[in-house]
Amino acid sequence: MDIKKLLFVTKFEELGFDALQSLLSLRKASLNHVVFVNVIERDRVAMHRGAGYLKEEEIRLRETANIRFIDWAEDLFEQGMEVGVYIVVGSMVSEVIKAAQKEESDLIVIGRPHKGVLEQLYAASDITELLRRAAIPVLVYKQLSETAISIEKPFEKPLLAIDWSPASLRAVEYLKVLKDVITEIHVIHVVGEKELKGASAMEVQRKRKETRKKLDDICDVFETEGVKADAHVYIGNAEDEIERAAREHQASMIVLGSSGKTAWVERWLGSTPQSIAEDSIYPTLLIPFEK
Amino acid sequence: MGKKVLVVDDDPDVRLFSVTVLEEHGYTPLEAANGEEGLKMIKEKKPDLIILDVLMPRQSGIRLYRELKTDKSLKNVKVIILSGIARKTFLRSQKALTEFGGKEIPEPEIYLEKPVEPEELAEAIKKFLG
Repeated sequence: MDIKKLLFVTKFEELGFDALQSLLSLRKASLNHVVFVNVIERDRVAMHRGAGYLKEEEIRLRETANIRFIDWAEDLFEQGMEVGVYIVVGSMVSEVIKAAQKEESDLIVIGRPHKGVLEQLYAASDITELLRRAAIPVLVYKQLSETAISIEKPFEKPLLAIDWSPASLRAVEYLKVLKDVITEIHVIHVVGEKELKGASAMEVQRKRKETRKKLDDICDVFETEGVKADAHVYIGNAEDEIERAAREHQASMIVLGSSGKTAWVERWLGSTPQSIAEDSIYPTLLIPFEK
Repeated sequence: MGKKVLVVDDDPDVRLFSVTVLEEHGYTPLEAANGEEGLKMIKEKKPDLIILDVLMPRQSGIRLYRELKTDKSLKNVKVIILSGIARKTFLRSQKALTEFGGKEIPEPEIYLEKPVEPEELAEAIKKFLG
């Protein structure tokens, strides 16, 4: 589960070269290849009533992206890295998945949509769809300027939220490989209030103890790799508590296993990984379940 | 049949441009869309010259050039680099790869920065193939 090749998906407004630079600490964990992807959404150049296909607009958008990527690529090439580029017209999710498969990349990095309410509903479904279809981990990056926190090295102090799903346990294996990049990790589990309804003080404490023991076992995995790890149990709403935990422990990123729910279920009922990816101020790394 | 020239570039418009120049001057063009495909064709078709882009999917021209120049059977294949990436960057990148434990390799003899005029490309090809 090494991260050798990273797919950096950008529309430029939401994710710039500073974001990429903050990820270059992954070179300590074998990153040596960055592939830039810019998808020109079809509706920007096609299906314009009376105008048909806007070929000139496509060329302008392609060249604008190309000039930016050349500039970024030069910087990375000079560091001895390998760089590739895709500038394509099409639908966002399909083109990103296609590029990830062609390149056999290990991680997709994408910016968070921040648009108006209606647009956000549409754009957010792109992220949901990507999380559902991607067979590799997806990092939903948050631009430094849009967060109140300063994240120079997102992988330095991750907060791993465990829900005991296969995907979240897979996240442990994924992070273990990054031992040269991570300096400290906080492993948490949020116990839902429903689980404790009607429980006595003794039962609540027993639940906490059991959970804490399981989290400690996970921490041991990291400690064996030389990474300082601390376990924490929170009680309440998962999304709120994970965000709170990230703040309390000054995390640089939130890591979760992404659920195996279908796109329809996630779109209408929501899921914790999806909500955190879209709403949290922290970069969010989602590890898919094995497909 | 004219001498074989392989154009390795992911941009179909650039390939079309180079192929047109080659055909007009009596050469036989071959095409590949990335470094990986290019290397496969070089081994199979044994071109007399390669016109190589740098920034491409799958494998960049920087890595392909390095593979060619470190392979005994391929190191004498002539290469023209035709790219939007600056020559200075290409050289610095090769230097960095050498410092990371790679072999020292010769600089490309002809490095053209995009865009080029057809005459400029034709002249560069002639220098190698006559």
